[in-house]
Amino acid sequence: MNETIGLYIDRDSPLHRLNPLTKVVFTICIVILGFISPWAWITFAIPVLILIPMSFWGQIGVPYLRALLKIVVPLALILLVMQSLFLPGETTWFRFWFLSVEYESVERSLTLVSRLVSMTASFILFLFSTHPSRLMTDLTRRGVSPIVTYLFISTIQLIPLMRTKANTIMDAQRARGLETEGNIVTRSKALMPMLAPLVFGSLVDVEERAIAIEARAFRVPGKRTHLTIVPDSQAQHLFRIALIVLTVVLIGVRLWLSLTS
Amino acid sequence: MQIEISNVRFVYPSGVEALRGVSFSVPAGQMLAIVGQNGAGKTTLVKQLNGLLKPSSGTIMIGDLDTSKSTIAKLSARVGYVFQNPDDQLFKRTVADEIAVGPTNLGFSKEDTERYVKRAVELMELEDKLETNPYDLTPTWRKRVAIAAVLAMNTPIVVLDEPTTGQDHRNINYLGRVMQQLASEGKTIVAISHDIDFVADYFERVIAMSQGQVLLDGPCDEVFAQEELLAQSYVEAPQLTRLGKRLGFAKTVSREESFLAALREARPRS
Repeated sequence: MNETIGLYIDRDSPLHRLNPLTKVVFTICIVILGFISPWAWITFAIPVLILIPMSFWGQIGVPYLRALLKIVVPLALILLVMQSLFLPGETTWFRFWFLSVEYESVERSLTLVSRLVSMTASFILFLFSTHPSRLMTDLTRRGVSPIVTYLFISTIQLIPLMRTKANTIMDAQRARGLETEGNIVTRSKALMPMLAPLVFGSLVDVEERAIAIEARAFRVPGKRTHLTIVPDSQAQHLFRIALIVLTVVLIGVRLWLSLTS
Repeated sequence: MQIEISNVRFVYPSGVEALRGVSFSVPAGQMLAIVGQNGAGKTTLVKQLNGLLKPSSGTIMIGDLDTSKSTIAKLSARVGYVFQNPDDQLFKRTVADEIAVGPTNLGFSKEDTERYVKRAVELMELEDKLETNPYDLTPTWRKRVAIAAVLAMNTPIVVLDEPTTGQDHRNINYLGRVMQQLASEGKTIVAISHDIDFVADYFERVIAMSQGQVLLDGPCDEVFAQEELLAQSYVEAPQLTRLGKRLGFAKTVSREESFLAALREARPRS
């Protein structure tokens, strides 16, 4: 399971060795924590105090930080500016030409952005450190339908396959004199010769894959055996339960705070 | 149009050195087959001919054009490239429209486009399929459409990547004859193939590649005689060559005519 697939970065680290279910539970709990937190600074602190140190523990600190800077930071900044400018509020903070920024709109956009940052950052860490096959193998062994796991894994596998196919199609069209670079008109013209073979080819591939897996007894009813068992431990099992309990307690506290305030 | 390849090296961004100092030339009108194991660098080499890949070092001249200094668009007027999978290039609603894509991309006049399309259609026997959607055709016919689409560009050089893949015996022979006809009209034909009997039947020259280098280069009979070197490129000599060897023929044969001649020579009629 060492090939590059999806966003997974192959490392031999304690984070990578964790059972995938532990990471699923952790990621979901972190996302919930971000959403129930009444203060944006706590939600912002999650990536800084928990996720980034964890990425270094998983030996993927540098690519993780790079991904945050490339994906999360620009998205967060755009959202923050747009929401601050256009969400309605009462207390004007400052005014510029026809634009005004209200204190309440900044507060609300900070909450929204903090949740988005925390959610995206946790999912990126999960995807960087969890091999999809390992995740699916473990989930299938725990009783998740093989159809569901196949749909998930084939979707992830499709991304690099389609990228390769798109490159080949682009080469094939360029070899026939098609201009794929230049202004927007030139690029738009190149879109159809690129898209049609990609879409039709992918549909044919999907059909062939479906037939191939059917021919390999994919939907045969009855009990299945498992060749690979993804390691788990009692400690991780207890950790997962503790995380779930803690999250449920925090949801309860949040509800109580909302009702009493 | 002549192809001149001088000491070409190519390293992929991943660091894999796919070509290691490849040099040879192909005169106009020659039929050259490139054989060798998977990963030997065959496709990497032919992709350099129309600029889809540029050499890391060394030069490739297509006539007077240096591929390193030319765009793919410019080179596509000189080098037609038929990809292995026809589905990678077909996107028009009808076969006729599909074949006309290349000539119109190259800016040919309406008359020239019609003339070249007609010629390509005749060569590939697609007359009764012009209004059919390419995706309604069988893979064999889609391959023919893809080849016709490149032939309609009227390039002096035609490169074919695995032209016989998925083709039946009749189609393989038909394709071989079309390629010979094109070569007789002065077009240079370069084909990558694992079908060694097809290579022996139709090509005058063969290059065997291994690990990014040219291992053998010469007329078919000469190359197929080098059994040990040929084995290094994971290529087995054609059936007739092997049979001739087992029958104890004095010289290497790879085609039916030369095999029969050698047989008659070995067993003269009493």
